[in-house]
Amino acid sequence: MDATVGIPPAVTEETEPFWNAAREGRLLVQRCLACGAESFPPRAMCRVCRGRETTGAFVTSSGRIYSFTVNHQRWLPGLEVPFAIVLVEFAQHPGVRVAGRLRGCRLEAIAIGMPVEVGFEPGPGGFAIPSFVAMDGVNR
Amino acid sequence: MSGEFFERRAVISGVGQSAIGRQIDRSGLQLTLDAVLAAIDDAGLSIDDIDGLAIFPGGGNANVPGYSAANLYEVQDALGITTSWRQGQVEGASLPFYGPALAVAAGQARHVVVFRTVKEGSAARTAGGRPAYGSTKPTAEGPLAWLLPLGALSPVCHVAPYATRYLHEYGLRREQLAFIPVVQRAHARLNPDAIYREPLSVDDYLAARMISTPLCLFDCDVPVDGSTALVISSAETIPDLRAPVRIEAMAGVIDGRPSWEQWQDMSRVGYATAAAMWARTDLRPADVDVAQLYDGFSIEVVWWLEALGFCQPGGAPAFIEGGTRISLGGELPLNTWGGQLSGGRLHAAFGHTAEAVRQLRGEAGARQVDGAEVVVVSNVGGYEAGAALLTRR
Repeated sequence: MDATVGIPPAVTEETEPFWNAAREGRLLVQRCLACGAESFPPRAMCRVCRGRETTGAFVTSSGRIYSFTVNHQRWLPGLEVPFAIVLVEFAQHPGVRVAGRLRGCRLEAIAIGMPVEVGFEPGPGGFAIPSFVAMDGVNR
Repeated sequence: MSGEFFERRAVISGVGQSAIGRQIDRSGLQLTLDAVLAAIDDAGLSIDDIDGLAIFPGGGNANVPGYSAANLYEVQDALGITTSWRQGQVEGASLPFYGPALAVAAGQARHVVVFRTVKEGSAARTAGGRPAYGSTKPTAEGPLAWLLPLGALSPVCHVAPYATRYLHEYGLRREQLAFIPVVQRAHARLNPDAIYREPLSVDDYLAARMISTPLCLFDCDVPVDGSTALVISSAETIPDLRAPVRIEAMAGVIDGRPSWEQWQDMSRVGYATAAAMWARTDLRPADVDVAQLYDGFSIEVVWWLEALGFCQPGGAPAFIEGGTRISLGGELPLNTWGGQLSGGRLHAAFGHTAEAVRQLRGEAGARQVDGAEVVVVSNVGGYEAGAALLTRR
């Protein structure tokens, strides 16, 4: 399914590293240099210790769906529907929740708690958007 | 309870509305002036009494076509008044009358008009359907940068995961959720100004098309054209006013991460605001006669019923099932004007506040709740949340 119809993100000093990493298929989140806490989206300040020095960390582990929706409405001409939007959390990355699309399973099979792998796909404006992939073992 | 809370020094003195419809072929300024002049007259005041103006939204906060169809300076220019206080509100104003109440309580103005004008109905017609959120700008800014590029192009896509999570946690069934739009439609049938007045059944609801699961067409409010204005006055001016209502308590607290997708526990929303409101009054949930709860989407009413203490967390499904408790004649009549689901998306609790004032004055016509003395009003839900108790003077 094509996900390129839509509105691209405004890129800022804080978010440019994420979108650059996304083009390489890698999920970059914020990590505090002082306390090591991770967070997403990047906010230029640690939500745990309020440190201003942050760096990036890559999420490579699988995650689980916290919640989701399947959108059926064509909000823009050419938008292909239906598609799933999932909110994913990672046991090895507390403090990180990332929204994305979902591929690799029937829309009716999506469930809270379902394991997913990190992935990306082409999105609007030439950006790569998070697009998680249902893991083996899911009833596809 | 202390009389020192600032909101006790303010009253809501007037409400006025323009014609409200799916499409009204008049400008936003015309609709706004219709509402503003009606509100001033309703308060028993004259135009030159007004010395404060506030508009929602301020700061160019218009993410969708038709979202903001008025301009504060044009309204002041048209009225030809002098103002000593003005405000452009963001969602953070929590309630439309929050900032104006602060202004009159602090003596910065005596009578403030706050207005909200939408032309989202016409915008939908122009676009050939509900336009995408964010489509007024070329790129998605701020928190929306993490949602719109995914195709989550409407607030319904942002709120729907909360509903999914609530269904998962508490076992709410769509057959139960249906009673919010169904009961509100029954109320709208008693409101000659409501948008949708045809009967709506649970079967109709279950047969409706999905918008963003688990929310269907009837879980979503209806975009309209129209304007609502409120007059907020200093309590010192009560002798000059026709029929003011009191602001017993109000609050607006954000206690979590302020973006739709990052809110930590999506099955619990509005609790901090509700607790802050109840801390400012001796009244309790059992004292509330009517509830005007924000209903951009039906699930938001579920949040508020629980957060405000009308039922326990997870208790809303049983509370709304069958619709008896939330209907006129029940223990907590809900959105007696039809709410935004059937009365129209006047937004930011302007429609809810207008109805609260009418109920407290006994001016709600066929949908009047006998002896209404305490009305609760809530706004938005999700990370942004406002709640107030209004009482008959």
